[in-house]
Order: sequence, then C-alpha cells, then structure tokens
Amino acid sequence: MAKKRKRTSDAPAAAAASAGKSDVSAPSRPERTLFGFKDKPSDDATAAAAAAAVESEPQPDSEGADTPPFRNKEKVLVTCSRRIIYRYRHLMQNIVSLLPHAKKDSKIESKQTKGSTLNEVVELRSCSSCLFFECRKQKDLYLWMFKAPGGPSVKFLVNAVHTMEELKLTGNHLKGSRPLLTFSTNFDQQPHWKLVKEMLTQIFATPKDHRKGKPFHDHVFVFSIVDDHVWFRNYQISVPHNEMDKVDKGGLDKMTLVEVGPRFCLNPIKIFGGSFGGPTLYENPYYVSPNQIRALEKRKKAGKYAKKVKAKVRRKMHEMENTLEPDEFAQLWKGED
Amino acid sequence: MVGLTGEDPVVRDEAMLDDVDTDEEESDLEDDSGEEFHDEPSKKAVYNKDGILEKLEDIAWPKNVDWRHKLTIEHDQGEKVDVNDDLSRELAFYTQALDGTRQAFEKLQSMNVRFLRPADYYAEMVKTDTHMHKIKGRLLSEKKKIEEAEERKKARESKKRAKEVQAEKNKERAKQKKEQIESVKKWRKQRQQGGFAKGNDDGPDLNFEGDEGFKQSKKKRPGVSPGDRSGGLAKNGRQGKNRKSRDSKFGHGGRKGTKKQNTAETTNDFRGFNQRGNSESKRRKMA
Repeated sequence: MAKKRKRTSDAPAAAAASAGKSDVSAPSRPERTLFGFKDKPSDDATAAAAAAAVESEPQPDSEGADTPPFRNKEKVLVTCSRRIIYRYRHLMQNIVSLLPHAKKDSKIESKQTKGSTLNEVVELRSCSSCLFFECRKQKDLYLWMFKAPGGPSVKFLVNAVHTMEELKLTGNHLKGSRPLLTFSTNFDQQPHWKLVKEMLTQIFATPKDHRKGKPFHDHVFVFSIVDDHVWFRNYQISVPHNEMDKVDKGGLDKMTLVEVGPRFCLNPIKIFGGSFGGPTLYENPYYVSPNQIRALEKRKKAGKYAKKVKAKVRRKMHEMENTLEPDEFAQLWKGED
Repeated sequence: MVGLTGEDPVVRDEAMLDDVDTDEEESDLEDDSGEEFHDEPSKKAVYNKDGILEKLEDIAWPKNVDWRHKLTIEHDQGEKVDVNDDLSRELAFYTQALDGTRQAFEKLQSMNVRFLRPADYYAEMVKTDTHMHKIKGRLLSEKKKIEEAEERKKARESKKRAKEVQAEKNKERAKQKKEQIESVKKWRKQRQQGGFAKGNDDGPDLNFEGDEGFKQSKKKRPGVSPGDRSGGLAKNGRQGKNRKSRDSKFGHGGRKGTKKQNTAETTNDFRGFNQRGNSESKRRKMA
C-alpha cells in the first residue's frame, strides 16, 4: 500500500518535508470530490499555494480565512490478537460495523514485539488511531486504544460483553449513519477521564462527510462513567414516521430508543505517553488483574485442604501427648464367661 | 465469566495489586502470588496530571471546531448510580441517551439541517434482515408463550368456579326433590285422614306450571313462528327449494293438523293429480 502524505500537527517537520517534496514533484492541485473540491491540507506551504482556490469556493465552516477549515480525517485500525475467542471477535466485528471509518487488519501475534508490529501496520494502513483487542488465556479481553504516531495510548480491561448478535437487543439502524455521542459529565472532572473522552470522541465519531457515511442520525452512543468504569451502549433512535416533520413541535416526546448493541464496560488500567508504549502517565490504583482475582479464589480453596491436614496433625500430636490411662475396670467382667 | 451484565467487573475491596505492566509487553507470569493484598488503592500508582493534559492538548481538535464534527452531548447523571442494580443502571444510560438525543436534535434543528431518515430511504443496516427476522420470531414466540400461560391460568380458574356452581346446583336440586316428596307425603296423609274426600281443590300444591316444574322452556324465540318445529332453522335458507316446499306440504315444523286437511282450494286443485292414472310412481308400486 502506498504511503500517503500526512497532515498531522504534531509532526510538523515530517509534514513540511513531505509537503516540500510534493511541491517539487507536482503543483498541489485541489482534489476533486463529488461535492466540489476537497478541503486544503493544513501545511503552510500548500495552504499558501492553494489560497486562491480556498477563497473561491464557499466554506460552510465559520472559521477565519487564514486558518484552513478543520477536516476530520480520522481512520481507525481495528485488529485483534491471535487466539481470540469468538465472543470477543464478534464484539470487534460489531465495532467495525459501527465505524465506517475503520479498517480491519489481520490478527497479530501477541508477543514481545507486537507493539512495534502494530505501529508499523498502523502506519502502513495510514491510520491515525487504533483499537487493538487482546485476548489472554481465552478469558480476559484487553482493549488498547491509541492515537497513531505520537500517542497517547490507553489500556482497558473489557468486561460485561454483549454482542449485537444477541436476540435480546432488538434495535437496528443504518450502517454508516453518524452516531450522536453522549458523555456523562464526570468525564470532565479528572484529567485522565478528559483524555479518555477526547480519544473516544475522535475514534467513535464518524467523520463528517465521510464517503461511507450516511447523512442521517438514527443512533446514539452512550459513554458513561459508573463506578470508575466506562460503560458503552448503543441505541437506535426511533421517531414515529408521521412525527418526522414536526420534531420541533413535540415530536421529541414521542421519540423512543431501542437498544442495538453491543454492550461492554471498559476498566482503564494504564495510560501511556507514546503509541503502544512510552512513559506511564496514569495507573489505575483500584485495578486488580483478573489473574489475581482467580489466584485468590484458588488460594481460598487450597486453604481449606491445608486447614484440614493441619487439624488432623494437631489432633494426632494431642493424642500422643495426652495418652489415656489404662482403664481399671477393663478386666472386671472378664472372669464371668 | 464476562457474559453477565449484572456482575461487578472488579471487586475492589478484595485485593489490590498494581499490575506489573511493562510498556511493550507483559507476560502472564508476572502475577505470581507472592505479593500481599491491600484494601486501599495503591499509593505508588503513577498519576502524571501535567503529562496527561499536555498529551490531551496535543491530540485535541481545535477549540473552535464546529459542533457538527463532534456531535457530542454532555449529560449530568445526577446522584450516583448503583452499578449492581441492573435496572437503575440501564435506566440511567437510557435517560442519558434520550436526553442527549433531544438536545442534539434541537441543536440540529436550529441549524436547519435535515437529520432524520425519510420513510422511503432504504439502505444497508447494521443487522441483516435474516437476523432481524430471527429477533422478530423470538419476540413473537415469547408473546405467544405469555398468552398461552395466561389462557391456562384463566381456564384453571374458570374450572374451579364451574365446579362450585355445579355443586351448588346439585344441592339445590336435591333439596327441591326432597321438598316435593315431602309435600306429596303430607297430602297423602291428609287425604287418608280426611277419608278420601272428593274434591280437586285439596290436591298437593305442586306447582307444575311454576318455574321449577317440568315444562318446556318458554323462552321467546325471536323471529320464529310459534308453530315452527325446526326452531327457525328452516328459515335460514340453507335448505333447497324442494325441501322447503315439501316441508311446507308434509310438515316439518309447525302443526300438521290444518295443513293436511283439504280446503276449498286444494279440492279443486288438480295439479298433482295424474288423470291417466299410469304415472311412473304408481307403476313402480304395482310391480
């Protein structure tokens, strides 16, 4: 796959270099799309070159003339580790179907070098963020969420998974319609939640005017922090058909939501500065790995047996120390037979 | 395992250990059981607030970005939600979604953007038609199950009630019979004492014409003439023309007496009379 020109603000040197290169090879020509010309990239050089084109076309975004209009070019790589179990794989596929701007890739071997492999793959697929589902011991699902070249990355433990295939969840919505994102207000209280919120927004919001997107809003995502976990829900918005034209006149009251799925719950473990690595910025003080919980349970069970053995030994010792005196009446009735 | 919604993902008080997590990779061997468990959050957990905020600024979209790019809505949950109470938790999520949707739709409405799918817009959905069919089937079968259970319950109750009613009726009947026998005996005794005096007026006061006696039901049948023996069935028109005419002639329903008698007209009516006297029916009879 060809490497595309980047326009990330956090790597200005590289961008400038690539922009310079492109200037040498060919004059920057506005790319044609269905709706007119594509918005200009943010590089200074190209922006100056294409200033005339920007001025000529009407801009819907209300921004200053000097700064190019914001354009969301998020691409999310979604992949998983090898030996993932079906349930978690279905969850991943559900998420792919919810994100029209997602790219799937083949499974990645979960070993020491998976971080660098993953970063390479993300760069090759020219994605700006990544969701990596890591399944361990055929039991535990970890979700890595990271922004591509410069980080940060967040590692979650995923609990309470329900996939879309479950028949209990009766809703349905258009594939590729842009979701509304609702966050609970406690996302704004602490810095690490703020970061998580920003990442969730960027990853889960379908870019505006995405070519696979549809121009309607018929589902809503819920991200809510309850008990220090991020809970995810996806609801279909169903408005009665005859009420559609009069949403402002009370049609909102008739609106109902039907759950579509999937459901999951994210427990943040750590936040790192880089992409899939780097300095640790946050550690969840309450986090207990599922391995420890299982070990504790096991040890409790093991303790039961050890106690029994101990009691047996103690009893034996006690009996040996305090031997019974010989019974003086033991011979009493012996002579009668 | 993870399948249940209700379970609390992490039991906090049980044990506390910080996950020994290297940046690149962690092995499963890391959590050996030699460490002790704490009841409180670990003190040595890293929390670099400045670093986080810096990173946040790095990745954040520009401040003045149009809301239509983000489509985010904040919702205040109010008081704390109990995680272990499935219903209240799901309700909190639902209200958050509903409230957020309302706010977002109002915003979109004020921007004069069309945002609802027209009724005749069909496109690919996230769930396939076969899957939705399955869901529908499940819903229907569930509904049917509930209905059946209710019906069974109703039948059971009505059966119970019917039993009671029947028992009551039997009792009533037995009582009546006893009374009548009693009254007959009494009357007999009276007659014996009175030396079998003639006279009808001192008969037993059995009211055969009353409601309880033997009698035909005198219910008024609407639309049925009093002489009709078929109980109005003949009028339903289910029978053929022939049958009807025969019935009217030979009587199936109604009193026969007057119908079979000749009247002035029928005596002079020779329609049904073969003058030659060698009709097929007669010949057959002779043979």
